[in-house]
Amino acid sequence: MSLRSSSPPARPADAAGADGPPTGHRGARRAAAARSRRPSGGRRTERLAPYVLVAPAVLIIVVLRLWPLLLGVNFSFTGDGERNGTTVGLDNYRDLLEDPLFRGALRNVGLLVLLLPIAVAIPGLLATFIYLRVPGHRFFRGVYFFPAVLSPVIVGAIFNLLLAFDGPLNAVLGGIGIGPVDWLGDPRVAMVTVVAVHIWATFGMALVVFLAGFATLDGALLDAARVDGASLAQTIRHVIIPGLSRTIQFVFVTTMIGMLTSMFGLLYIMTSGGPEGSTYLPEYYIWIQQGQMNRPALASAASTVLFLIMLVVGLLQLSLLRRSGRTE
Amino acid sequence: MSRIRWGRWLLAVPMAALALATMYPLVFTANVAMKTRREYILDRFSLASALRWENIAAAWHSVGMARYLLNSVAVVTCSVALLLLIGSMAGFALSQLRFRGSSTLFLVCLVALFIPFQVIMVPLVRIMAEGGLTDTYPGLVLAYVAQFLPFTVFLMTSYYRGVPTEIVDAARIDGNTPYGVYRRIMLPMGAPALLSVGILDALFCWNDVLISLLLMPSADHRTLMVGVTSLRGQYSDDIPTFAAGVLIAAVPVLVTYLFLQRQIADGMTAGSTKG
Repeated sequence: MSLRSSSPPARPADAAGADGPPTGHRGARRAAAARSRRPSGGRRTERLAPYVLVAPAVLIIVVLRLWPLLLGVNFSFTGDGERNGTTVGLDNYRDLLEDPLFRGALRNVGLLVLLLPIAVAIPGLLATFIYLRVPGHRFFRGVYFFPAVLSPVIVGAIFNLLLAFDGPLNAVLGGIGIGPVDWLGDPRVAMVTVVAVHIWATFGMALVVFLAGFATLDGALLDAARVDGASLAQTIRHVIIPGLSRTIQFVFVTTMIGMLTSMFGLLYIMTSGGPEGSTYLPEYYIWIQQGQMNRPALASAASTVLFLIMLVVGLLQLSLLRRSGRTE
Repeated sequence: MSRIRWGRWLLAVPMAALALATMYPLVFTANVAMKTRREYILDRFSLASALRWENIAAAWHSVGMARYLLNSVAVVTCSVALLLLIGSMAGFALSQLRFRGSSTLFLVCLVALFIPFQVIMVPLVRIMAEGGLTDTYPGLVLAYVAQFLPFTVFLMTSYYRGVPTEIVDAARIDGNTPYGVYRRIMLPMGAPALLSVGILDALFCWNDVLISLLLMPSADHRTLMVGVTSLRGQYSDDIPTFAAGVLIAAVPVLVTYLFLQRQIADGMTAGSTKG
């Protein structure tokens, strides 16, 4: 080992380390400590220690997260059933595009994109109100965040009761002369219903992120707006939105990722993909193909497509961050 | 603290309405769980005529919610303990020790943070099956650890970065090995972060349904959330018992939230802003 020579730059591995050179003072102190106190047999242990400490985490992450990603992409070019293991080129991807259920899933992703501004605007507006110290703002914050900690399964089960065709919501609407609407049974309505429940359950997350952003906003600007007699709408448009552009972009991206990856529980318990396959999302399609249809290779192709969609969202975030970084 | 004067009371009205809309579904469910079937069919909205625990008891015993709850508690406890141990070890090494490749290894964890479970679930199921881990508790624990480890390592690393290097250096001069520094200094110092990351990990594991559904097919291995999904088919004509089952599953989270609201909200934002 390099320490054996014990000549001045005592730990060349450190100096060349990826973390950049250690400060002279610290490095010297450590080297001195290593030289004077440690028995020579301990040096090997000493050098290995960081690797031993990191090993379990890295091993688990590489074997159970990164390796499956490569395996999955590889899988998606092989066949299912009797063609198991043979290379089939792009056949799975062709099957995907011809499958009305997957096309429906992609259409629903488009619907998510359309509803995204609403999912961002609601918590943004509420955070503004809370920031303006509406009476009871602390209480509101606590209440609004609560559904975000409930499992989608519980949320879905509760809304199954509320939204049943002969359920309470239709009873209330019937009382004022509307409906009844078949919230979960009408193919034109069901997906919008599920997304609305998802927004109900998660707007508290975005709200808290917005509030963290407000904490960085310059209060003097708001005071100036008030002195100039600006209305609430004007203040939001000219002071708050420009001041929070980074936070807003961030919420857009995290909300989109949330809609793409955490609606399985809701879909599973509320509609199971129905009626008429109208409430499929890529994640639900993957689950059906893997768990129910026994078509893992096709499911892998769908996974790869979902990963590409997420990659686009992620890269969009990166470029937005870079752009806002430049203007600041 | 009147920063701005616009009719703030006026804004409180829609906000209170929304707060009501946020809480009402749960209150409704709790109320239904106390009703008899006849009461529910006659009038959904009226208050239950008495605090009745029969439905809860029925859900607890006959549906097997007790068993599912026990499964969930066991799996979540083991997963969180392992996550905190492995995560804090890695966090300490990546933030305080200098070694060749440390930034590459940190990058590995960061990249894994952006891989959603849905993308890797097909190969993961196959890997688990090959290892004989499907439908076993250790298998599910391992899957949870793998799923939430990147998040845990990431938050522990950023927390330990805030610990002054002088503390570690001093402990080393006193003759501690890196393991000693971890055990005697970093583990106790990390307590606040371990607590808030632990709560979040517990919440994530507890709320999961997809991973458990995939890896634990047999009925008596179900976790509580999968148990709730199985209620739907069995009790579609007995709404009060169904509501009681949902309530049993919701109460542990509700209680946790009442006590640890601040930590949960802050931790979740920290996780999402840094991630």
